[in-house]
Amino acid sequence: MTAFTDMQLDALRELANIGSGNAGTALGSMLGKSVDISVPTAAVMPLADAVAIAGRPDELRHGVVVPIVGDMEAIVVLLFPDPDARTLCGIYGIEPSTADGKSMLGEVGNILGTSYINVLAQMVAMELEPAPPQVVEDMLGSILESVLLGRGEDVDQALILDSALMVEEEECSLSFLLLPSAGGIKQLLERLGL
Amino acid sequence: METVVRMGEAFASRTPGDALACIGLGSCIGLALVDRSQGVAALAHVMLPVAAQPDPPQRFKFADLAVPALIALAVEHGALRTRLEGVLVGGAAMFQFGGSGQDIGARNAEAVTRLLEQSHVPVTATATGGGIGRTIRVHVGADMHVTAREAGGREEHLLGAPLAGKVAYA
Repeated sequence: MTAFTDMQLDALRELANIGSGNAGTALGSMLGKSVDISVPTAAVMPLADAVAIAGRPDELRHGVVVPIVGDMEAIVVLLFPDPDARTLCGIYGIEPSTADGKSMLGEVGNILGTSYINVLAQMVAMELEPAPPQVVEDMLGSILESVLLGRGEDVDQALILDSALMVEEEECSLSFLLLPSAGGIKQLLERLGL
Repeated sequence: METVVRMGEAFASRTPGDALACIGLGSCIGLALVDRSQGVAALAHVMLPVAAQPDPPQRFKFADLAVPALIALAVEHGALRTRLEGVLVGGAAMFQFGGSGQDIGARNAEAVTRLLEQSHVPVTATATGGGIGRTIRVHVGADMHVTAREAGGREEHLLGAPLAGKVAYA
């Protein structure tokens, strides 16, 4: 993968900004609470560093993975630290590690992933749709390395579009990562004329 | 001192008290080669079964190049080629993405195992497969031992301790 120019990274960051804004609004209406979104980061980095920016590799996370299929392949990953997953599931009176809890986290992933992807698809005129979410509770490193290498492609670097969503009054936050495949990034930039 | 071996990296040591670790393995393989007679250990964090190009920048990324390179690294650090034992941890399938990457974890484990066999290095213990992430840790020294820990689980001895054995998940 070649390096990106600042202009390309800015454009990708702006896409992430609009996508996560849309996702935050969707999560807010689901929960009936307001949701704050951080300014997203767009970074290209070696895979090993990509794992490191998200936290220590042995930290446990609830992870929701939503594969994106269609004109571009990408993967949406939501990462919840355990206390945050508990808070979020607690709004509905359920525990995150139960079947109901996993189902709820999967649904949150579905809603966030779909709303993010829809706005992205409109902006770049692509057909994109989410596949069913997969929910795990595992080490951060294990989740990210499995996602980054899941297609068996030899990738040296990952483009990570990372936003943090914070649910107000609940002290609950989650990381939202969009990981386009190497070909997907190229397509995105081409559609943007960059 | 503990050295964390990240994706595509390898490290060897013969310093008693050192530890080498691959933390949070998913579909990757933590491959440890140890010579207990000389107190030498080498650990690689292998990511994919086969290199797509002949001379990639990171040879420890790919099983086909990593196995011979790790054997050479262990020998450079004083291991006897014929006393090497292999321990494999990782190779989980946590997600299904379809496509050619179908169960990259199992393909990684197969590739590393096959390469070790071709190199006549016996595999003494494994903790591979299943759907859960793991950490491998190699404790260097006179009581050389290798442990594996599943996410949220306890540290289990794989090699060099009373409970040495095989933990495999079909």
